[in-house]
Amino acid sequence: MTDPETPPGPTVIVRVVARLLLAPSVVVAVALIVKGYTKVGDGFAAGMVVGLAVALNAVAVGAHRAEAALPVLRHAPHAAVGGAFVALASGFFPVALGEPVFSHRPGPDEEVVSVGTAELMTAVSFDVGIFLLVVGVVTVLVHQLAEPDQEPPT
Amino acid sequence: MEGAEAERPGSSRSRRPDWPGWSCCAAAAAGFAVCLVGWLRGGGTLSLPWVPSLDLRLSFAFDGLAALYSLLATGVGVLVFAYGTRYLRQHLVEDGRPLSEGRRFWPWMGLFAVAMVGLATATDLVLVFVFFDLTAVCSYFLIGFDRERREARTAALTALLVTIVPAVALLVGAVLLYSAYGTFAIPELVARVGPGTTTTVAGLLIAVAALAKSAQVPLHFWLPRAMQAPTPVSAYLHSAAMVAAGVLVLGRVHPLLARSELVLVVLLVVGLTSIAVGGVLALGRDELKQVLAYSTISQYGYVVTLYGMVGAAAAGAAAFYVVVHAVAKSALFLSAGAVTTATGEDRLSRLGGLGRRTPVLAAATGVAAATLAGLPLTGGFFSDELFFGAAKEHGPVLTVASVLAAGLTFAYIGRYWTRLFLGPLSTAPGALSRVLLVPVVVLALVAVVIGIVPSPITALAQDAGAVSHAAPVTLSPAYHLDLRGTNVMALAAWALGGLLLAAAGLRDRASRLVATAGDRLGPRRAYTATVIGLRRVSDRLHDWETRDLRSSIAAVLVPAGALAVGAFAVTPVTQAFAVGPIAGTDWLVLPLLVLVGVATLVAARTRERLGIVLALAAVGFGLAAVYALRAAPDVALVAVLVETMLSLVFLAALARLPGTEPHREHGRRRGQRWRDPLVAAVSGLGAFVVIWGYLSEPRETPSVAAEQARLAPAAHGQDVVTVIVADFRGLDTMGEITVLLIAAVGVATLLRRGRLW
Repeated sequence: MTDPETPPGPTVIVRVVARLLLAPSVVVAVALIVKGYTKVGDGFAAGMVVGLAVALNAVAVGAHRAEAALPVLRHAPHAAVGGAFVALASGFFPVALGEPVFSHRPGPDEEVVSVGTAELMTAVSFDVGIFLLVVGVVTVLVHQLAEPDQEPPT
Repeated sequence: MEGAEAERPGSSRSRRPDWPGWSCCAAAAAGFAVCLVGWLRGGGTLSLPWVPSLDLRLSFAFDGLAALYSLLATGVGVLVFAYGTRYLRQHLVEDGRPLSEGRRFWPWMGLFAVAMVGLATATDLVLVFVFFDLTAVCSYFLIGFDRERREARTAALTALLVTIVPAVALLVGAVLLYSAYGTFAIPELVARVGPGTTTTVAGLLIAVAALAKSAQVPLHFWLPRAMQAPTPVSAYLHSAAMVAAGVLVLGRVHPLLARSELVLVVLLVVGLTSIAVGGVLALGRDELKQVLAYSTISQYGYVVTLYGMVGAAAAGAAAFYVVVHAVAKSALFLSAGAVTTATGEDRLSRLGGLGRRTPVLAAATGVAAATLAGLPLTGGFFSDELFFGAAKEHGPVLTVASVLAAGLTFAYIGRYWTRLFLGPLSTAPGALSRVLLVPVVVLALVAVVIGIVPSPITALAQDAGAVSHAAPVTLSPAYHLDLRGTNVMALAAWALGGLLLAAAGLRDRASRLVATAGDRLGPRRAYTATVIGLRRVSDRLHDWETRDLRSSIAAVLVPAGALAVGAFAVTPVTQAFAVGPIAGTDWLVLPLLVLVGVATLVAARTRERLGIVLALAAVGFGLAAVYALRAAPDVALVAVLVETMLSLVFLAALARLPGTEPHREHGRRRGQRWRDPLVAAVSGLGAFVVIWGYLSEPRETPSVAAEQARLAPAAHGQDVVTVIVADFRGLDTMGEITVLLIAAVGVATLLRRGRLW
């Protein structure tokens, strides 16, 4: 990418579409998670949807520009590690109560509080953890692999 | 973060006390006190479940044997650690290395002491194996402490391999005994095991592990090499601890070994051979620590011989001998280190006449040497007396052999001491730190105290012998001013030793002869050849596998395919390969599969990169559509997403490649043309056969999947796949996403020195 003004390769259409797809992809991801426990899709798929949008942006306009346009992406490592902790906490909190790991709450015979179609239970928070981790890892990988030869300006 | 300045030798900070070393020392002292109190209170046992499904328990017993070896490991540990605080600093300064390298030293020393106490107290065979290997691992890092030197590294590897590979025999023996008697617990095995082939084989296997650890012929060659280690390591590992671990295991399982005549004969033969080989080679060595190393081989030969003779006297004598030897030998090692530190020389031929310059060191070393030689007023006299007494009970052959052995010891240790401290001064010694001197003096004093008041060690040895003999043992070492058998044997041994000491020419020639023969025909040569051969095979395999990308892939695919085909070749397959009916959505699936097949062929045949990527994408999306039609929408969704991501990554990678298209490399050998299709055919057929067989297998028993589908509503979910991922198999998922995070960290480490962003 010698000239930053006119990056070779992707046409204007790709760049515009990549930009436009970002918001819908997040909406789709939220939908996938929220409905996850009753319909098709789970945290991993949701994370991949957002990750795809991020990767498409990076391919379309270049990683640096994409990251400049979306400063929130720089929190990807936090999202990855935070997601790992959320998943870990959701899976292993029963150990503190003397139960086997992944004994989700509410238990099999208990009532689940729902907000719309979203069920408030630890299995879903585990899924949210997976989502955050996948988004974070994919974004980090895109960032790392985009310009592997150059040290980013510090 | 301490800067390099703070660690420069001679700066003010480098004179600070070596806190890790002194804290190890304090911990060892505390351990010694605890062990002493524990022994005086009569010991005790502790047994906790470990792996109940395998009948493994963390069982420890603090009995006489445990007390003896724990007291040795901690007691000698205190002195060696104190010595090490000073020695290590000097060693590092002389080599021009930063003092911070000491941080690599003390944790291993401390862990070694802990492993030794654990080994001494463990009464479960598998637990014994674990501690046994733990000591070997620690010793690897300690012997290889000077890791810049190639000799140190090879010595460490030799010590590790020669002790850890036979240790597997110990595990095999343990499993053999378990399969026959249903327990790993040594006390229960002692109660249950009877004579028989299993006992003999298991006993031999355990003995092999123990003998390798105790550096007995023919697996002795690692010990002289291990003298590359810093002196405190030699003094600790190769006198009181690591080598003692072998005879400790022998003592622990001795009631089992005693059920088989063959094992006892093996112990006797190996022990006597080791005494002879070690002693004769010690006679001719020039390097200080080499003399002591061969002496150690010889001395543990005594103990192994004693375990080979059955009886209360032998079992007690073995325990007594271990204590006295450990005290004397660690004193000798520490004094050798002190001499080398003071003079900068480590060879007998360049040293001499040090007695006048360092009288205290000479006296203390003299006491230690006298202890090895078994002179009166040292503990060595009693250990030799007990050794002679036990040998005398077992016939004239052993009587003569024991006298010869003691004579040999007298000769080599006499040569060592006289060459070092008597005669004209060769190299003038520098100032000697008190921290290097005091431990030697303390150990020499201990040897003298044992020589005057043997009763505490006698009590300890009786307790330890009672464990090895599985019956009470009574020892009564004392001075008798008469011509009883043991006294005559001692006198004969001293006379023989004196003669050998005087006949220098004969002695040196014999020793050189044996050394040459050992170099030509010895086990070390076989070991080296084995290691080199193994490395060559491994190199060749590695080269073959990683020659190019195709070879790497073939190395995975061909064995997998061959295994699958082989498995199906030996499985009865009457019903396994059925062709089911085609109905409903199958009519949609079939053309999709044809499309996938065509795309695969295109991917294999086309030479355009973009074409390959697009064809592969077509394969992936076609299969995703098949999943969707086969009522697996979750899989289809993930497949579509992953396929999209893959295509994107491929396209992004294509943009970075140089513009030329790939071309076939010229001059490929004949036959290579057929290699790739053949590899593909084998692996593809294997996968095809497996999947076909799996799909046509009629499911009679309710499958796990059906059970999970039934339970999903109870987990508040209608989507079975999500419930499986997040709930039923949650732990697996956790592991998988952790791998994802690790992969990201790995990429960051490779590309940006670990910065995630």
